[in-house]
Amino acid sequence: MQRRVSRATLLKGLAGLAVGALSGKLYFDWQRSASQVSCRMLGPSMSRGHALRDGKASKMPDAPTENTAIVIVGGGIAGLSAGWWLKKRGFSDFVLLELEQQVGGNSSAGKNRFSAYPWGAHYVPVANKESEYVLALFEELGVIEGYDAAGNPIYNDLYLCHEPQERLFKDGSFQEGLVPHRGLQPEEKEELDRFFTLIQKLRSATGSDGRPAFAIPIELSSKDEDLIALDRISMAQWLNQNGFRTEPLLWYVNYCCRDDYGSAIEDVSAWAGIHYFAGRRGVAANAEQNSVVTWPEGNGFLVDKLKQQLDGHIKSGALVTAIAARDRRYITTYVESSTGRCLAAKSACVIFSAPRFLATHIVDGYEMTGHHELVYAPWLVANISLNRIPDARGAPLSWDNVDFRSRSLGYVVATHQTISARQGPTVITYYYPLSGENPAAARKRLLSTSADEWSKTIVDDLKRMHPGIAEEILSIDLWPWGHGMIRPSVGFIWGDTRRRMKADYGNVFFAHSDMSGISNFEEAQYQGVEAAKRALAALGAA
Amino acid sequence: MTYALLITAFVISTCGLVYELIAGTVASYLLGDSVTQFSTVIGVYLFSMGIGSFLSKYVGRNVILTFIQVELLVGAVGGCSAALLFLLFEHVGSFRILLYGIVGIIGILIGLEVPLLMRILKDRLEFKDLVSQVFTFDYVGALIASLLFPLVLVPYLGLIRAAFLFGLLNVLVALWTIHLLRSEVPWLKSLRSLAVVLAACLIGGFVFSEKLMAFAESSAFPDNVVFSTSTPYQRIVITGNSKDMRLFLNGNLQFSSRDEYRYHEALVHPALASLKEPQNVLVLGGGDGMAVREVLKYPSVRSVTLVDLDSEMTTLFKDQALLSRLNDHALSNPRVSVVNADAFSWIRQCRRQFDLVIADFPDPSTFSLGKLYSDRFYTALKHVLKPHGLVVVQSTSPYYAKNSFWCVVNTLNSAGFLTTPYHAYVPSFGDWGFVIASLSPFAPADRYPGGLRYVTADTVRQMLTFPTDMLPTVTAVNKLNNQALVHLFESEWGEYAETR
Repeated sequence: MQRRVSRATLLKGLAGLAVGALSGKLYFDWQRSASQVSCRMLGPSMSRGHALRDGKASKMPDAPTENTAIVIVGGGIAGLSAGWWLKKRGFSDFVLLELEQQVGGNSSAGKNRFSAYPWGAHYVPVANKESEYVLALFEELGVIEGYDAAGNPIYNDLYLCHEPQERLFKDGSFQEGLVPHRGLQPEEKEELDRFFTLIQKLRSATGSDGRPAFAIPIELSSKDEDLIALDRISMAQWLNQNGFRTEPLLWYVNYCCRDDYGSAIEDVSAWAGIHYFAGRRGVAANAEQNSVVTWPEGNGFLVDKLKQQLDGHIKSGALVTAIAARDRRYITTYVESSTGRCLAAKSACVIFSAPRFLATHIVDGYEMTGHHELVYAPWLVANISLNRIPDARGAPLSWDNVDFRSRSLGYVVATHQTISARQGPTVITYYYPLSGENPAAARKRLLSTSADEWSKTIVDDLKRMHPGIAEEILSIDLWPWGHGMIRPSVGFIWGDTRRRMKADYGNVFFAHSDMSGISNFEEAQYQGVEAAKRALAALGAA
Repeated sequence: MTYALLITAFVISTCGLVYELIAGTVASYLLGDSVTQFSTVIGVYLFSMGIGSFLSKYVGRNVILTFIQVELLVGAVGGCSAALLFLLFEHVGSFRILLYGIVGIIGILIGLEVPLLMRILKDRLEFKDLVSQVFTFDYVGALIASLLFPLVLVPYLGLIRAAFLFGLLNVLVALWTIHLLRSEVPWLKSLRSLAVVLAACLIGGFVFSEKLMAFAESSAFPDNVVFSTSTPYQRIVITGNSKDMRLFLNGNLQFSSRDEYRYHEALVHPALASLKEPQNVLVLGGGDGMAVREVLKYPSVRSVTLVDLDSEMTTLFKDQALLSRLNDHALSNPRVSVVNADAFSWIRQCRRQFDLVIADFPDPSTFSLGKLYSDRFYTALKHVLKPHGLVVVQSTSPYYAKNSFWCVVNTLNSAGFLTTPYHAYVPSFGDWGFVIASLSPFAPADRYPGGLRYVTADTVRQMLTFPTDMLPTVTAVNKLNNQALVHLFESEWGEYAETR
């Protein structure tokens, strides 16, 4: 009897118990997380968009045609800004057609019971002197409240990003700011210093034509051949040519390129890469250089304000299927998603502010050689509702929180700008550019991966910064951006394709940040306003 | 066999010392004064070992059985010791009885073990070798434990896990002993099952220790906890007795009932008494109702609006007899209305104007609190202030955090206010600072309400003068996009905490 339980059996039993206890805990945790977290895949109306590509969308109007002077196609920042400018000029004979139920495009936003949050673009840097349209809009919306004696704008400090702005998780804890500065080798530090000195020089540089080397919008930049030449090599090559080789610096520059262009330093031109740093020359009377304005809903704030001004002009849920010239007028055919009816609008001009790659599908007779060169970076954006953001080691919770080792760009906190001692639930927006892989393959992966799989990837990624975050998550909403951002590839910004893209087609005026090669608010707004100006000029001439 | 048993001596002594170190550390964490805690824990432990050794002579026939039972018991008690101490800290009347009880039991058991082991080995070794070898292993074990504890156990496992791990080690040694001496042990099967069950429990404890730790929440308060609750916004803990009641929010002392009158009289009366016939008063923060109590001493005041984020806090100080006695039931007064809202958003939508606004927020120790001391916040206050109204701001200690204090003054100035800084001595806080902000020059009153214990025309005059050691060395304005105050506050209080 006594021999029945041998030592080996016993040890096995113990090991079994240990395994049992551990797997029990894991199962318990998994159950907990699985039962509480709802994961949803939201996103732009891809099937309807793709119907266009596949030629399945109806092009025959089955209702009488309405008349207007200008039809704006696409309600992203470019289209809204075009409308804003028309209104500003006292012109109101226009209609704006938007595919989605809400205008906003890349600056769309959402809202739940905890906070509003962005689905894409979420800040604008304080404006450069030459960014006239941005300054004008900011004054109008009270983002700029006045000017000091030196002529520097005073920004509404509710909108200026509050302290602390950024932190970087590296070597097991957070440091303040995104530029790695802790525990560097002397040569790493020297390279960072040298880089920022060089950027400082480029920031104030002007070309032989007297224009700033890097301006916002880019169209106002110098066309000096020496500077343009930077567009013909990649950012990675430029860094290498200038002897920048240490990891912290390369990480930082690569991070910035992925942040602004959704693409790694190998894939963007040096001109674009440098523009990110040297282009920002904005000043504010009450903030440091490089400050940004931001809102809980990101640039959705600006969308909302523009939308209010265009009240009565916007038709959402309208899928434009064709734009055709008839008797010196344009017929814009669109499908109304609420009724399924196919309608048409007749106008003297069209401002085409939908993504530029759609133009050949929609505008009758329009051909653009090289439109296959347009490369779009796919993105995944997740809005995650949490009971609270777990404490982490090092620098305190900031607006932008980044992990040095992650392939994501980290997360921003939607409630960062609220003035409250409340420490209740919040929403964080997590950005994941699918850079470093072929865009088409990445787009496929983006869309074929299930919401649950993406959520797991995201939570595993966040866990490195915040062990225990999984237990705090209430819901995860995902938004795949198949064509998230135009990529400023080598040679794109100052090359032939973009030059051809800028050319209008009769009285179809193109307006989209795609035509700048850089996807941000300032460029989209500039393209929108410029197209509105050209349209007004054409109408004046007619 | 003999060496195997000697190795058990080694393990036992390692475990014993680890338990002792754990008890000492837990006591230092929870009670403070580590010298006293370690001295008394070591003393009780060694003395109990003596008792154990003494008791060993009463173990008669079943030496081996007793030895194994003792080992299992040490494993159980020692393994759970840290978890028990943390968990029960807030719930027992006298923590020391629990502490020394556990240390004593472990000591007695360890004290029993060595003599018993020597008796088991007495027939297998010569006496001189026996003594030499048992004690050699014993002392080597002690050295290992004392090195393992600070270098590996505390940093990598934490106290609760370390205890469970060593408890498990103890039980495994017992199992091994059972195996070695299986021919001489009675009740073999039941001992084995007991050991296996114990091991399983300890493994469970080890695995779930994180959850236990969270549950135990080892915040240490110097007095009896009378009440504690976690609201969505903060952890409220009230300690003490009828003589001295203390309120802690997130572990920070908010008041002691012994001297809070000094703080609240100084906060309210210099400003309020200087106003002619004040009617409407707004209190921001201050959900304990003490500032409201002082405001209600003015018959001319028709309405007091208290805006505090935390409804549990205001309900507590309204409905709990023990607590509402402290504020003279101010929150039930018909003149008082309580609003649970964010101060900033409430002010922005507020269409009323007040004679006095009292900003009694917690110190600017976090970025979210720092925003309630920003120029933007103070600018917003102007909209709810009558033209001749006053604002008074509690603004941390001008002694411990002088630059922080003057930063509040500068920020109010930059928002367009005239400022009158002053300070008062509150024993449980130290020298404490306030700022009166006004749109027209402020002149202190000659007369104050009857029944005040601290504020008089004379004390107010003294409050207005600042000695040289309270003057600032840096000047800054606290803005939302620089949070200068939080940075100053952190560095100044951090420095003070370090030098202590």
